[in-house]
Amino acid sequence: MMRRRFRRSDTEAAAARRGRRRGAVRTGVLAGAVLLCSGALAAADPGLPRAPQMQFVPPAAGTYALQRIQACPDGVLLDASGRARPLADFTRGKITLLTFFYTHCTDPLGCPFAVGLMSALRDRIGADPDLAGNVRFVSISFDPAHDSPQRLRSYARGLSAGAPFEWDFLTASSMARLAPVLDDFGQDVRIELDSQGRPARAINHMLKLFLIDPAGTVREIYALDYLQPQVMLNDIRTLRLEAQGHERHQAASTPAGSSAAGPRGGR
Amino acid sequence: MTTRHVSIRGFLAWLGLLTAAAIPIGALADETCNSPYMTGLIKGQEDYVHVWTLGVEGWGDGSDKLVTVDANPRSKTYGKVVHTVSVGGHGEAHHMGFTDDRRYLWAGRLDDSKIFVFDVGTDPSKPKLVKTLSDLPVRTGMAGPHTFYALPGRMLVGNLSNNRDGGGVTGLAVYNNKGGFVHEYAMPTGAVNGVRGDGYGYDLAIDPRKNVLLTSSFTGRDNYLRDLGALIKDEAAMKHFGNTMVLWDLKAMQPRQVFSVPGAPLEIRWSLNPNDHWAITATALTSKLWLVRQDASGAWHAKDVATIGDPAKVPLPVDISIRADGKGLWVNTFMDGTTRYFDLSNPEAPRQTYAKQTGRQVNMISQSWDGKRVYITSSLLEHWDKAGADNEQFLRAFNWDGKELTAAFEVDFAKEKLGRAHHMKFTSRAVGVAADDATPIPSVGY
Repeated sequence: MMRRRFRRSDTEAAAARRGRRRGAVRTGVLAGAVLLCSGALAAADPGLPRAPQMQFVPPAAGTYALQRIQACPDGVLLDASGRARPLADFTRGKITLLTFFYTHCTDPLGCPFAVGLMSALRDRIGADPDLAGNVRFVSISFDPAHDSPQRLRSYARGLSAGAPFEWDFLTASSMARLAPVLDDFGQDVRIELDSQGRPARAINHMLKLFLIDPAGTVREIYALDYLQPQVMLNDIRTLRLEAQGHERHQAASTPAGSSAAGPRGGR
Repeated sequence: MTTRHVSIRGFLAWLGLLTAAAIPIGALADETCNSPYMTGLIKGQEDYVHVWTLGVEGWGDGSDKLVTVDANPRSKTYGKVVHTVSVGGHGEAHHMGFTDDRRYLWAGRLDDSKIFVFDVGTDPSKPKLVKTLSDLPVRTGMAGPHTFYALPGRMLVGNLSNNRDGGGVTGLAVYNNKGGFVHEYAMPTGAVNGVRGDGYGYDLAIDPRKNVLLTSSFTGRDNYLRDLGALIKDEAAMKHFGNTMVLWDLKAMQPRQVFSVPGAPLEIRWSLNPNDHWAITATALTSKLWLVRQDASGAWHAKDVATIGDPAKVPLPVDISIRADGKGLWVNTFMDGTTRYFDLSNPEAPRQTYAKQTGRQVNMISQSWDGKRVYITSSLLEHWDKAGADNEQFLRAFNWDGKELTAAFEVDFAKEKLGRAHHMKFTSRAVGVAADDATPIPSVGY
């Protein structure tokens, strides 16, 4: 049984309560994030209230290298149709942007913020045919008790349906199945307690998005203060350029008639 | 007042000979000086202060250890040591840093370059040593892991030295949160934008909104492990101290600019005010505050903005601690045991508005996020601490009402045979549980 204790500051707890009181924030945040990401992104994102603001011109794609941070964890999860699938099916062969979420989250700078940002990125990536075919998004619920495959299908409607590229929504059959994946990613998940010490509805977690290369190596991790759409897009393009370079190298060294292997690298 | 290895008169004479060399002064950090880009910053009352402590032969088990002190006034054990974890041996225990999720505390030793990882998330009242990393010299050729700065999912480690010649040319190392080595970056030794880097390292700090990383510079293993008395008589060795700061492109991890900052710039503190984009540091040898700031054209500059005490009297500024709103700065000066407060309302012209002798030797200073509590420890480096009665070893807690520091509690690390008290970090008591099948999240009824 996984059971960790956690601590939070008075200020953060109050902020979380304020966040929960702000009903119906998702729509507004989504709209704001889409606006944020769909405009000119070269120099300064206007940002949302309290959200980080980019005050720099990010280095161009391909002019820097992304670190090889860690191997992507494995595990067996449930896809939105309810089938048990290895996580590797969703973290190999394409550039993957992966995050954890839960459908009931209302923290304006939590899951809704990430979904809004990913939606905007989806549109920009979708406008680039090469990227669209080589990038996927993955959203994994850390509330398997409530986020059933059926609920994920409902939630995903409008996000992945009709998307120009793959956006997968996953859950788990139990927390016991999910816990090792969370631990391996370094994604903490904590249940807030009420004044009586009983579990409350809010799940506290540090918002993180993981950028994974086609070989399954985590190459960047974005927390809230590093969630800058243009930087993320440049990082994705950097990985795509890296993969294309590898593909060219493979093609040059592979005898005619034999099939080229997928991109490799990472550890 | 005497030092352990050299008289103050000799020390002053030595300083008089120096122009741009540096006196090594260890030190650093507090709640406002953590990487703020992590979860769980304690903005209310801290429950525990963890002190990374240098072992002293003949004092208890003689081992370096993490000492946990209850810091909550409402607790029955307030002001008492509630737990210790010995790590074995003593190797110049120095600084610590939390991982981004604040579940683990990394602590380094400057002598054998080992990094110890403590679990402080499961039960912060009883930290547990869960991993020891010994591969830094082998992986990177670097030595003296000093600063541990949380990045998402990984730890950026600033080093002091190298394993080749024991000098100050060094670099940065990146580990993932599991302790796996990720990458290394050399400090620049060539010219960057017209200023030559000296390759030395010390502290580091980030402003992600500007995509910049700032590093400072100190000295190598041959100097910081050396008897201070012998060191200061060695004119050649005394030239080997850092005189630069480096501004890096954080995303690309490439040096963009080298600043000439004479006199061993040590701790770096970015203002945590979201509207500010400046950092401040103190130079140990020249006793100055330097401001690093971006001008309206986007160019970055380093500027000497204030003097700390009377440099001729060798106050030796060591650790600094910035207020959460960036409006004030605590500065400890080791030699005169004084804790000073600077008004930073105008960071271009800091003004000292308060000073108090808080010990015979003081090094680290950490303030709570709300600025109401200030903690001070005593040890600088094993071979640099004072001798005899001046070699006090303590953790002292004070309350700050904006006008006066008032003693709250003290732990005598000598009397309790704990060791030399150095770096501090705060944690708060666990108040929740992690999600699991036995603690389901309540349904909201879909």
